[in-house]
Amino acid sequence: MKLSDDVNFQSWSEQLYKIMMNADRQGASDLISLSMTKGLSSEQIIVKLLDPALVKLGILWEKESVSLAQTFVAAKIAEDILLRCVPEVSMAHNNPVVIGNIEDDFHSLGRRIVATFLRASGWNVYDIGNDVPAEDFVDKALEVGAVVIGASAMMQTTALNIRKLREVIDSRGLRGRIKLAVGGAVFNWRPDLVAEVGGDGTANNAIGANALFLKLQAEAKGALIQ
Amino acid sequence: MNASTVWLSCGVLRDELGELYRQGQISGELRFLDSMLHMDPLQLQTKLKESLGQPGPSGGRLILVYGDCCGRMLDLVREYRVGRVNAINCAQMLLGRTRYRELMKAESFILLPEWARRWKEIIQTELGLSADVAHDLMRENRSELVYLNTGLAPVPRLELAECAAYTGLPCRIEPVGLDQLLNFLVEAESAASIRSKGEVGP
Repeated sequence: MKLSDDVNFQSWSEQLYKIMMNADRQGASDLISLSMTKGLSSEQIIVKLLDPALVKLGILWEKESVSLAQTFVAAKIAEDILLRCVPEVSMAHNNPVVIGNIEDDFHSLGRRIVATFLRASGWNVYDIGNDVPAEDFVDKALEVGAVVIGASAMMQTTALNIRKLREVIDSRGLRGRIKLAVGGAVFNWRPDLVAEVGGDGTANNAIGANALFLKLQAEAKGALIQ
Repeated sequence: MNASTVWLSCGVLRDELGELYRQGQISGELRFLDSMLHMDPLQLQTKLKESLGQPGPSGGRLILVYGDCCGRMLDLVREYRVGRVNAINCAQMLLGRTRYRELMKAESFILLPEWARRWKEIIQTELGLSADVAHDLMRENRSELVYLNTGLAPVPRLELAECAAYTGLPCRIEPVGLDQLLNFLVEAESAASIRSKGEVGP
Protein backbone atom coordinates (compact mmCIF):
# COMPACT_ATOMS: atom_id res chain seq x y z
CA MET A 1 0.00 0.00 0.00
CA LYS A 2 1.39 3.39 -1.02
CA LEU A 3 1.30 6.37 1.30
CA SER A 4 -0.92 8.21 -1.19
CA ASP A 5 -3.61 5.53 -0.80
CA ASP A 6 -4.37 7.14 2.56
CA VAL A 7 -5.17 10.48 0.94
CA ASN A 8 -8.79 11.47 0.50
CA PHE A 9 -8.40 13.50 -2.69
CA GLN A 10 -11.78 15.16 -2.40
CA SER A 11 -11.04 16.36 1.09
CA TRP A 12 -7.59 17.63 0.13
CA SER A 13 -8.93 19.42 -2.92
CA GLU A 14 -11.58 20.98 -0.69
CA GLN A 15 -8.80 22.21 1.60
CA LEU A 16 -6.95 23.69 -1.35
CA TYR A 17 -10.12 25.44 -2.50
CA LYS A 18 -10.64 26.96 0.97
CA ILE A 19 -7.03 28.12 1.01
CA MET A 20 -7.56 29.81 -2.36
CA MET A 21 -10.70 31.53 -1.10
CA ASN A 22 -8.70 32.83 1.85
CA ALA A 23 -6.09 34.14 -0.60
CA ASP A 24 -3.46 32.20 1.38
CA ARG A 25 -0.57 31.51 -0.99
CA GLN A 26 1.74 30.16 1.71
CA GLY A 27 -0.99 27.84 2.97
CA ALA A 28 -1.30 26.37 -0.50
CA SER A 29 2.43 25.84 -0.72
CA ASP A 30 2.40 24.05 2.64
CA LEU A 31 -0.46 21.82 1.52
CA ILE A 32 1.34 20.85 -1.69
CA SER A 33 4.53 20.09 0.24
CA LEU A 34 2.54 17.89 2.57
CA SER A 35 0.84 16.11 -0.32
CA MET A 36 4.25 15.40 -1.82
CA THR A 37 5.54 13.93 1.42
CA LYS A 38 2.41 11.78 1.45
CA GLY A 39 3.59 10.36 -1.85
CA LEU A 40 1.19 12.07 -4.27
CA SER A 41 2.55 12.27 -7.77
CA SER A 42 2.72 15.58 -9.63
CA GLU A 43 -0.05 14.43 -11.92
CA GLN A 44 -2.28 13.50 -8.95
CA ILE A 45 -1.69 16.93 -7.42
CA ILE A 46 -2.71 18.69 -10.62
CA VAL A 47 -5.58 16.47 -11.67
CA LYS A 48 -7.05 15.47 -8.32
CA LEU A 49 -6.31 18.50 -6.13
CA LEU A 50 -5.83 21.58 -8.29
CA ASP A 51 -8.31 20.97 -11.10
CA PRO A 52 -11.36 20.31 -8.90
CA ALA A 53 -10.53 23.35 -6.76
CA LEU A 54 -10.34 25.52 -9.87
CA VAL A 55 -13.61 24.15 -11.23
CA LYS A 56 -15.30 25.01 -7.95
CA LEU A 57 -13.79 28.48 -8.04
CA GLY A 58 -15.08 28.91 -11.59
CA ILE A 59 -18.60 28.05 -10.51
CA LEU A 60 -18.41 30.66 -7.79
CA TRP A 61 -17.12 33.17 -10.30
CA GLU A 62 -20.24 32.65 -12.39
CA LYS A 63 -22.20 33.86 -9.39
CA GLU A 64 -19.90 36.90 -9.15
CA SER A 65 -18.88 35.91 -5.64
CA VAL A 66 -15.12 35.94 -6.13
CA SER A 67 -13.02 39.01 -5.46
CA LEU A 68 -10.07 40.29 -7.42
CA ALA A 69 -7.80 39.25 -4.57
CA GLN A 70 -9.13 35.69 -4.56
CA THR A 71 -8.81 35.44 -8.33
CA PHE A 72 -5.28 36.73 -8.37
CA VAL A 73 -4.15 34.49 -5.55
CA ALA A 74 -5.89 31.46 -7.10
CA ALA A 75 -3.94 32.10 -10.30
CA LYS A 76 -0.71 32.47 -8.38
CA ILE A 77 -1.38 29.28 -6.45
CA ALA A 78 -2.07 27.45 -9.69
CA GLU A 79 1.16 28.85 -11.12
CA ASP A 80 3.14 27.87 -8.01
CA ILE A 81 1.81 24.33 -8.15
CA LEU A 82 2.54 24.01 -11.84
CA LEU A 83 6.08 25.28 -11.45
CA ARG A 84 6.64 22.57 -8.90
CA CYS A 85 4.82 19.81 -10.73
CA VAL A 86 4.80 20.41 -14.46
CA PRO A 87 8.44 19.44 -15.19
CA GLU A 88 7.53 15.95 -14.07
CA VAL A 89 4.22 15.78 -15.89
CA SER A 90 4.11 14.72 -19.50
CA MET A 91 0.40 15.26 -19.99
CA ALA A 92 0.82 18.78 -21.42
CA HIS A 93 -0.14 18.97 -25.12
CA ASN A 94 2.04 22.09 -25.53
CA ASN A 95 0.04 23.52 -28.41
CA PRO A 96 0.92 27.14 -29.17
CA VAL A 97 -1.51 29.97 -28.53
CA VAL A 98 -1.09 33.74 -28.85
CA ILE A 99 -2.64 36.16 -26.38
CA GLY A 100 -2.41 39.90 -25.85
CA ASN A 101 -4.31 43.08 -25.06
CA ILE A 102 -5.58 44.81 -28.17
CA GLU A 103 -4.27 48.20 -29.28
CA ASP A 104 -4.89 50.98 -26.72
CA ASP A 105 -5.75 48.51 -23.96
CA PHE A 106 -3.38 48.36 -21.02
CA HIS A 107 -5.27 46.21 -18.52
CA SER A 108 -2.82 43.35 -18.24
CA LEU A 109 -3.95 41.64 -15.06
CA GLY A 110 -6.77 39.60 -16.59
CA ARG A 111 -4.61 38.58 -19.53
CA ARG A 112 -1.82 37.44 -17.24
CA ILE A 113 -4.23 35.38 -15.18
CA VAL A 114 -5.58 33.78 -18.36
CA ALA A 115 -1.99 33.00 -19.42
CA THR A 116 -1.38 31.29 -16.12
CA PHE A 117 -4.46 29.09 -16.40
CA LEU A 118 -3.70 28.25 -20.03
CA ARG A 119 -0.17 27.23 -19.13
CA ALA A 120 -1.63 25.19 -16.30
CA SER A 121 -3.70 23.38 -18.88
CA GLY A 122 -0.73 22.57 -21.06
CA TRP A 123 -0.73 25.36 -23.65
CA ASN A 124 2.47 26.90 -24.91
CA VAL A 125 1.43 30.52 -24.35
CA TYR A 126 2.96 33.36 -26.36
CA ASP A 127 1.93 36.44 -24.38
CA ILE A 128 2.65 39.45 -26.56
CA GLY A 129 1.66 42.05 -23.99
CA ASN A 130 -0.39 45.25 -23.93
CA ASP A 131 -1.40 47.67 -26.65
CA VAL A 132 -0.76 45.20 -29.47
CA PRO A 133 -1.62 46.17 -33.07
CA ALA A 134 -3.89 43.74 -34.91
CA GLU A 135 -1.23 42.77 -37.44
CA ASP A 136 1.17 41.70 -34.69
CA PHE A 137 -1.31 39.14 -33.33
CA VAL A 138 -1.63 37.48 -36.73
CA ASP A 139 2.08 37.67 -37.52
CA LYS A 140 2.89 35.97 -34.23
CA ALA A 141 0.25 33.28 -34.70
CA LEU A 142 1.64 32.44 -38.13
CA GLU A 143 5.20 32.46 -36.80
CA VAL A 144 4.52 29.99 -33.98
CA GLY A 145 1.81 27.97 -35.70
CA ALA A 146 -1.01 28.96 -33.35
CA VAL A 147 -4.56 28.36 -34.55
CA VAL A 148 -6.14 30.32 -31.71
CA ILE A 149 -5.56 33.98 -30.87
CA GLY A 150 -6.83 35.43 -27.61
CA ALA A 151 -7.47 39.18 -27.64
CA SER A 152 -8.25 40.94 -24.40
CA ALA A 153 -9.94 44.29 -23.82
CA MET A 154 -11.38 45.68 -20.66
CA MET A 155 -13.50 48.48 -22.07
CA GLN A 156 -16.02 49.02 -24.82
CA THR A 157 -13.90 51.48 -26.77
CA THR A 158 -10.83 49.27 -26.78
CA ALA A 159 -12.91 46.15 -27.43
CA LEU A 160 -14.04 47.75 -30.67
CA ASN A 161 -10.39 47.81 -31.76
CA ILE A 162 -10.63 44.00 -31.96
CA ARG A 163 -12.70 44.49 -35.13
CA LYS A 164 -9.46 45.37 -36.88
CA LEU A 165 -7.95 42.06 -35.80
CA ARG A 166 -10.98 40.28 -37.27
CA GLU A 167 -10.44 42.19 -40.50
CA VAL A 168 -6.74 41.30 -40.64
CA ILE A 169 -7.47 37.60 -40.06
CA ASP A 170 -10.09 37.63 -42.79
CA SER A 171 -8.13 39.74 -45.25
CA ARG A 172 -5.25 37.28 -45.09
CA GLY A 173 -7.60 34.41 -45.90
CA LEU A 174 -7.27 32.88 -42.45
CA ARG A 175 -10.90 32.94 -41.37
CA GLY A 176 -11.76 29.58 -39.84
CA ARG A 177 -8.12 28.52 -39.83
CA ILE A 178 -7.18 30.94 -37.06
CA LYS A 179 -9.87 31.34 -34.43
CA LEU A 180 -10.37 34.51 -32.42
CA ALA A 181 -11.14 34.23 -28.72
CA VAL A 182 -12.06 37.51 -27.04
CA GLY A 183 -12.22 38.31 -23.37
CA GLY A 184 -12.16 40.97 -20.71
CA ALA A 185 -14.58 42.50 -18.29
CA VAL A 186 -16.64 44.32 -20.89
CA PHE A 187 -17.59 41.06 -22.62
CA ASN A 188 -19.11 39.80 -19.39
CA TRP A 189 -21.11 42.99 -18.97
CA ARG A 190 -22.37 42.83 -22.54
CA PRO A 191 -21.99 39.47 -24.30
CA ASP A 192 -23.43 40.90 -27.55
CA LEU A 193 -20.09 42.61 -28.03
CA VAL A 194 -18.44 39.27 -28.88
CA ALA A 195 -20.28 39.12 -32.20
CA GLU A 196 -19.97 42.87 -32.74
CA VAL A 197 -16.16 42.70 -32.73
CA GLY A 198 -16.06 39.47 -34.74
CA GLY A 199 -15.03 37.12 -31.95
CA ASP A 200 -15.43 33.37 -32.38
CA GLY A 201 -16.09 32.86 -28.68
CA THR A 202 -15.46 34.05 -25.17
CA ALA A 203 -15.18 32.68 -21.65
CA ASN A 204 -16.66 34.36 -18.63
CA ASN A 205 -13.50 33.90 -16.63
CA ALA A 206 -9.88 32.82 -16.79
CA ILE A 207 -10.64 29.35 -15.58
CA GLY A 208 -12.94 28.80 -18.55
CA ALA A 209 -10.29 29.87 -21.05
CA ASN A 210 -8.88 26.36 -21.51
CA ALA A 211 -12.23 24.86 -22.53
CA LEU A 212 -12.85 27.73 -24.95
CA PHE A 213 -9.40 27.46 -26.52
CA LEU A 214 -9.69 23.69 -26.87
CA LYS A 215 -13.06 24.10 -28.60
CA LEU A 216 -11.73 26.77 -30.97
CA GLN A 217 -8.62 24.74 -31.69
CA ALA A 218 -10.76 21.75 -32.62
CA GLU A 219 -12.87 23.93 -34.91
CA ALA A 220 -9.78 25.40 -36.57
CA LYS A 221 -8.22 22.00 -37.12
CA GLY A 222 -11.53 20.76 -38.48
CA ALA A 223 -11.52 23.65 -40.94
CA LEU A 224 -7.98 22.75 -42.00
CA ILE A 225 -8.96 19.13 -42.67
CA GLN A 226 -11.90 20.26 -44.77
CA MET B 1 -17.39 77.51 -24.97
CA ASN B 2 -21.15 77.55 -24.79
CA ALA B 3 -22.96 78.93 -21.75
CA SER B 4 -25.74 76.36 -22.04
CA THR B 5 -23.45 73.36 -21.91
CA VAL B 6 -23.87 70.94 -19.03
CA TRP B 7 -20.74 69.02 -18.05
CA LEU B 8 -21.66 65.80 -16.28
CA SER B 9 -18.42 64.57 -14.78
CA CYS B 10 -16.90 62.01 -12.51
CA GLY B 11 -16.15 63.63 -9.15
CA VAL B 12 -12.50 62.66 -9.53
CA LEU B 13 -12.07 65.74 -11.74
CA ARG B 14 -14.09 68.13 -9.58
CA ASP B 15 -11.16 70.41 -8.70
CA GLU B 16 -9.79 70.44 -12.24
CA LEU B 17 -13.09 71.26 -13.94
CA GLY B 18 -13.81 73.82 -11.22
CA GLU B 19 -10.49 75.51 -11.95
CA LEU B 20 -11.11 75.63 -15.70
CA TYR B 21 -14.54 77.07 -14.99
CA ARG B 22 -13.07 79.66 -12.62
CA GLN B 23 -10.53 80.65 -15.28
CA GLY B 24 -13.33 81.06 -17.81
CA GLN B 25 -11.92 78.32 -20.02
CA ILE B 26 -15.23 76.48 -19.89
CA SER B 27 -18.70 77.77 -19.16
CA GLY B 28 -22.11 76.34 -18.51
CA GLU B 29 -23.09 74.11 -15.62
CA LEU B 30 -20.92 71.56 -13.80
CA ARG B 31 -22.53 68.42 -12.40
CA PHE B 32 -20.64 65.68 -10.60
CA LEU B 33 -21.26 62.10 -9.54
CA ASP B 34 -19.37 60.29 -6.78
CA SER B 35 -16.00 59.10 -8.05
CA MET B 36 -16.30 55.85 -6.09
CA LEU B 37 -18.95 54.73 -8.61
CA HIS B 38 -15.94 53.86 -10.76
CA MET B 39 -15.51 50.77 -8.58
CA ASP B 40 -19.02 49.53 -9.44
CA PRO B 41 -19.60 49.94 -13.18
CA LEU B 42 -23.21 48.72 -13.10
CA GLN B 43 -24.09 51.20 -10.39
CA LEU B 44 -22.30 53.94 -12.34
CA GLN B 45 -24.34 53.07 -15.43
CA THR B 46 -27.56 53.28 -13.42
CA LYS B 47 -26.63 56.66 -11.95
CA LEU B 48 -25.62 58.01 -15.33
CA LYS B 49 -28.94 56.94 -16.80
CA GLU B 50 -30.76 58.68 -13.97
CA SER B 51 -28.80 61.85 -14.54
CA LEU B 52 -29.18 61.74 -18.32
CA GLY B 53 -32.91 61.24 -17.91
CA GLN B 54 -33.24 64.57 -16.13
CA PRO B 55 -34.12 67.66 -18.15
CA GLY B 56 -31.02 68.86 -19.96
CA PRO B 57 -30.10 72.22 -21.38
CA SER B 58 -32.54 73.22 -24.08
CA GLY B 59 -30.73 74.58 -27.09
CA GLY B 60 -27.45 73.44 -25.56
CA ARG B 61 -25.27 70.42 -25.10
CA LEU B 62 -24.68 67.84 -22.44
CA ILE B 63 -21.17 66.44 -22.29
CA LEU B 64 -20.13 63.38 -20.32
CA VAL B 65 -16.72 63.90 -18.78
CA TYR B 66 -16.13 60.21 -18.33
CA GLY B 67 -13.74 57.67 -19.70
CA ASP B 68 -14.91 54.27 -20.76
CA CYS B 69 -15.87 53.45 -17.19
CA CYS B 70 -18.91 51.21 -17.61
CA GLY B 71 -19.89 48.53 -20.09
CA ARG B 72 -22.34 50.64 -22.06
CA MET B 73 -20.79 54.09 -22.00
CA LEU B 74 -20.84 54.46 -25.79
CA ASP B 75 -24.41 53.16 -25.91
CA LEU B 76 -25.46 55.81 -23.38
CA VAL B 77 -23.95 58.50 -25.58
CA ARG B 78 -25.89 57.24 -28.58
CA GLU B 79 -29.10 56.59 -26.68
CA TYR B 80 -29.27 59.98 -24.99
CA ARG B 81 -27.64 61.88 -27.87
CA VAL B 82 -25.06 63.55 -25.66
CA GLY B 83 -21.40 64.32 -26.14
CA ARG B 84 -18.50 62.64 -24.40
CA VAL B 85 -14.79 63.29 -24.12
CA ASN B 86 -12.90 60.91 -26.36
CA ALA B 87 -10.66 59.43 -23.67
CA ILE B 88 -10.22 56.01 -22.16
CA ASN B 89 -10.14 57.27 -18.59
CA CYS B 90 -9.52 60.27 -16.37
CA ALA B 91 -5.76 59.74 -16.29
CA GLN B 92 -5.62 59.98 -20.07
CA MET B 93 -7.68 63.18 -19.91
CA LEU B 94 -5.08 64.81 -17.69
CA LEU B 95 -2.01 63.41 -19.41
CA GLY B 96 -3.03 63.36 -23.05
CA ARG B 97 -2.75 60.27 -25.22
CA THR B 98 1.00 60.33 -25.79
CA ARG B 99 2.12 60.68 -22.18
CA TYR B 100 -0.55 58.26 -20.99
CA ARG B 101 0.73 55.62 -23.41
CA GLU B 102 4.30 56.21 -22.27
CA LEU B 103 3.36 55.69 -18.64
CA MET B 104 1.34 52.60 -19.45
CA LYS B 105 4.27 51.15 -21.38
CA ALA B 106 6.38 51.82 -18.30
CA GLU B 107 3.75 49.89 -16.27
CA SER B 108 3.04 52.88 -14.06
CA PHE B 109 0.05 52.85 -11.74
CA ILE B 110 -1.46 56.32 -11.90
CA LEU B 111 -3.02 58.05 -8.94
CA LEU B 112 -5.12 61.16 -9.38
CA PRO B 113 -5.35 63.46 -6.36
CA GLU B 114 -8.72 62.13 -5.23
CA TRP B 115 -7.70 58.48 -5.76
CA ALA B 116 -4.57 59.10 -3.71
CA ARG B 117 -6.59 60.54 -0.84
CA ARG B 118 -8.99 57.57 -0.96
CA TRP B 119 -6.47 54.81 -1.68
CA LYS B 120 -7.42 52.73 1.38
CA GLU B 121 -11.06 52.80 0.36
CA ILE B 122 -10.13 51.56 -3.11
CA ILE B 123 -7.40 49.02 -2.46
CA GLN B 124 -8.42 47.66 0.90
CA THR B 125 -12.19 48.01 0.96
CA GLU B 126 -13.33 47.88 -2.65
CA LEU B 127 -10.70 45.52 -4.07
CA GLY B 128 -10.23 43.57 -0.83
CA LEU B 129 -6.46 43.39 -1.18
CA SER B 130 -4.51 42.53 1.95
CA ALA B 131 -1.00 43.97 2.19
CA ASP B 132 0.59 40.68 1.09
CA VAL B 133 -1.70 40.25 -1.90
CA ALA B 134 -1.47 43.92 -2.88
CA HIS B 135 2.29 43.65 -2.71
CA ASP B 136 2.41 40.58 -4.95
CA LEU B 137 -0.19 41.83 -7.37
CA MET B 138 1.22 45.30 -7.82
CA ARG B 139 4.86 44.25 -7.97
CA GLU B 140 4.06 41.72 -10.67
CA ASN B 141 1.98 44.07 -12.78
CA ARG B 142 3.28 47.57 -12.09
CA SER B 143 6.64 49.26 -11.74
CA GLU B 144 5.79 52.48 -9.89
CA LEU B 145 3.08 54.70 -8.49
CA VAL B 146 2.78 58.03 -10.27
CA TYR B 147 0.85 60.79 -8.55
CA LEU B 148 -0.49 63.39 -10.97
CA ASN B 149 -0.06 66.71 -9.27
CA THR B 150 -2.41 69.24 -10.79
CA GLY B 151 -1.33 71.78 -8.19
CA LEU B 152 -4.91 72.36 -7.08
CA ALA B 153 -4.61 70.52 -3.79
CA PRO B 154 -1.75 69.86 -1.39
CA VAL B 155 0.16 66.72 -2.33
CA PRO B 156 -1.09 64.03 0.10
CA ARG B 157 2.40 62.89 1.02
CA LEU B 158 1.37 60.77 3.98
CA GLU B 159 -1.23 58.86 1.96
CA LEU B 160 1.21 58.37 -0.91
CA ALA B 161 3.84 57.00 1.45
CA GLU B 162 1.28 54.64 3.00
CA CYS B 163 0.10 53.47 -0.41
CA ALA B 164 3.69 52.91 -1.56
CA ALA B 165 4.44 50.86 1.53
CA TYR B 166 1.24 48.83 1.15
CA THR B 167 1.84 48.02 -2.52
CA GLY B 168 5.62 47.77 -2.39
CA LEU B 169 5.99 50.19 -5.30
CA PRO B 170 8.12 53.31 -5.40
CA CYS B 171 6.11 56.49 -5.74
CA ARG B 172 6.93 59.64 -7.64
CA ILE B 173 5.10 62.87 -8.32
CA GLU B 174 4.52 64.10 -11.85
CA PRO B 175 3.32 67.69 -12.33
CA VAL B 176 0.51 67.97 -14.84
CA GLY B 177 -1.31 71.00 -16.21
CA LEU B 178 -4.89 71.31 -17.34
CA ASP B 179 -4.15 71.90 -21.03
CA GLN B 180 -4.74 68.31 -22.10
CA LEU B 181 -7.99 68.13 -20.17
CA LEU B 182 -9.14 71.37 -21.75
CA ASN B 183 -8.33 70.00 -25.21
CA PHE B 184 -10.50 66.96 -24.57
CA LEU B 185 -13.34 69.18 -23.32
CA VAL B 186 -13.17 71.58 -26.26
CA GLU B 187 -13.05 68.71 -28.74
CA ALA B 188 -16.07 67.03 -27.10
CA GLU B 189 -18.11 70.21 -27.03
CA SER B 190 -17.39 70.94 -30.68
CA ALA B 191 -18.45 67.47 -31.71
CA ALA B 192 -21.60 67.28 -29.56
CA SER B 193 -24.95 67.89 -31.13
CA ILE B 194 -27.22 70.58 -29.77
CA ARG B 195 -30.27 69.30 -27.98
CA SER B 196 -33.60 70.58 -29.08
CA LYS B 197 -35.74 72.58 -26.70
CA GLY B 198 -37.29 70.45 -23.96
CA GLU B 199 -35.42 67.29 -24.89
CA VAL B 200 -34.87 65.20 -21.80
CA GLY B 201 -33.79 61.75 -22.76
CA PRO B 202 -33.72 59.00 -25.34
